[in-house]
Amino acid sequence: MSPAEVSTIAERIAGLRGEFDRSFTQPARRHDVEHVELLSIVAGGRRYAMRLSQTSGLFPDRPVTALPGPLPALLGVAGFGGTIVPVYDLAALLGHALPERPRWLVLAAGAPALALAFHELDGHVQVPIESIIAGTFGARDSLGGMVSLPGGTRPIVDVPAARAAVYQLTGHTHLDEE
Amino acid sequence: MMAGRTFGSKLASGFGLSVALTLLMGTASVFALTVVVGAKDQVITDATEGLVLAERLNTTVESRIGNYRAFLLGASQKSFDAMTADRARFLDQVTQLRGMLHNPTELALLDTVAQAEARHAELLTPVIERRKTITDLRSTAELQASALGPARQALQDAIAALTARVRADVAAASKRSSTRATQAVALVVGLGVLAIGSAVLVAVRLSRGLRREVGTAVGHIRSSSAQLEAAAAQQASGGRDQASAMSEITTTISELLITSRQISDSAQRVSKIAEETAEAADNGDATIDQTRQSIAAIRTQVDQIVAHMLALGEKSQQIGAVVDLVSELAEQTNILAINATIEASGAGEWGRRFAVVAEEIRKLADRTAGSAKEIRALIDDVRGAVNTTVMATEIGAKSVDAGARQFDDATSSFRRIAQLVATTNDATREIELSTKQQTTAVEQVNVAASDTARVTRETEASATQTKQTAAHLSNLSSELLELVGTGRH
Repeated sequence: MSPAEVSTIAERIAGLRGEFDRSFTQPARRHDVEHVELLSIVAGGRRYAMRLSQTSGLFPDRPVTALPGPLPALLGVAGFGGTIVPVYDLAALLGHALPERPRWLVLAAGAPALALAFHELDGHVQVPIESIIAGTFGARDSLGGMVSLPGGTRPIVDVPAARAAVYQLTGHTHLDEE
Repeated sequence: MMAGRTFGSKLASGFGLSVALTLLMGTASVFALTVVVGAKDQVITDATEGLVLAERLNTTVESRIGNYRAFLLGASQKSFDAMTADRARFLDQVTQLRGMLHNPTELALLDTVAQAEARHAELLTPVIERRKTITDLRSTAELQASALGPARQALQDAIAALTARVRADVAAASKRSSTRATQAVALVVGLGVLAIGSAVLVAVRLSRGLRREVGTAVGHIRSSSAQLEAAAAQQASGGRDQASAMSEITTTISELLITSRQISDSAQRVSKIAEETAEAADNGDATIDQTRQSIAAIRTQVDQIVAHMLALGEKSQQIGAVVDLVSELAEQTNILAINATIEASGAGEWGRRFAVVAEEIRKLADRTAGSAKEIRALIDDVRGAVNTTVMATEIGAKSVDAGARQFDDATSSFRRIAQLVATTNDATREIELSTKQQTTAVEQVNVAASDTARVTRETEASATQTKQTAAHLSNLSSELLELVGTGRH
């Protein structure tokens, strides 16, 4: 490792320490109002974002028990805190399924319980609320807005709309408000 | 007949013929003289002895008659003895004449003389006896000697006839002798004439042959002289050319000598360099051994490097496993932080504070994951570098092995070079020796060439002299032609 790289790492350590120290000195900001928490994900080879507020948990490598059925998007069921939750392939719901098995599961907030599976997790980001462009894209109404992130603009997956789409697939005409 | 014979043999034949004729003439002269002398001697002998003895017979008879008459007169014993002695001498002379004479006529006449004397003695003996008895002789008639007169006359006539016959024979012999002498003179004269004629003939023929052959020979001499003169001129010219060529050859040989000496010096230097090379080759053996040891040490070091590199690869694998663990922990921390954030979002004000902490934890987890990813990349780089290094080192080890083999080849080549250098050294010494010998030979050749150049100059001078001599010879042949009287050449 060259001295320049060593000095760069030392600078990074110093920057990290300073940032870590500053986090204790800054006032608590308005979490919901000023910023939006997003998960940047990859499903079916395409990049998406997902509002963290629309989820209730993130899990990797959770065992999924396959169920026989006519729906290719239904991967099976998984257990979360003693509850059996159906798991749907987000890419299949969005119309571009891949044969490989998704690794990540995210629990949708609200009811009925639903888990969406996707292939890769790019990370957890905070973006200003102004950077989100509202609107619906595509025929399936599962996407709600777009956000500009490092690495490109991503469509935002609307989890309630996805649940509605699942309901439609399963034969329900309207979402039951329980 | 004499064609094809040398002039000397012709001359010898001519003189031989003349000498033979002269010898024949001399032999004939000697023979004739001997014959003539013999004849004359015979004549003289006959004249001196026969005629004298015949005359002496008459004298003895006269002496006996005188002594007989003296005895008749005095009857002395002395006269008787003298008379007896005269008869004995007469008989002795008759005997001598019988041995001397050969002519039958003369012998017959001598017999007649002897018979007449015997008759006379027979008649005389009674007279003598009677006189001895007569002491006083008064008359001769007493003696009765009348028959003696005719007997005495007959004896004297017989002696006279014998003497005349002997004289006539002497005259005849003298005449025969003169005739033989004349014949001998004629023979000698004839032989002399024959010898002179043959000598003249030989002289004429020799003179003609001399003129003809000498003329031809002189003509040949003149043409040969001309050719000799031309050849001498050509030889002189060639001698000059040869002299100049020999001069150039001498110059060239001198340059060759200088070059040969330079070659000898160079060969000496080469020999010295070859010796130094051989010495350096000997030193090179030690260097080769050191280098081989160094190669073996390098091989060991390379093996150690490979072992260290493999150990380094294993360590980096272990580091990678730890980094994987750290990455796993960071991911789990991240997930926990995300889930904590999700949980905090529904927990009011405290939840928001907790969300801030969770955010920080998540950031730390992100950074930890990023650092682990960097470490993973670095470890991959390290492993790649280790693999590359191991491969390069193994290639280096193979290169070292190949280098060692090549070095062995180079060593054998080097030793072969050393052997060849030794051989070269020997060859160089031989070259040096040969070059020295060559230099000596070239020096000798130079001396010989100088001698040859000198001889060539002398030859040129000699050719010039020969040319002049040929010219002289041509003039001399002309003079010789004039001398022998042949002007056709």
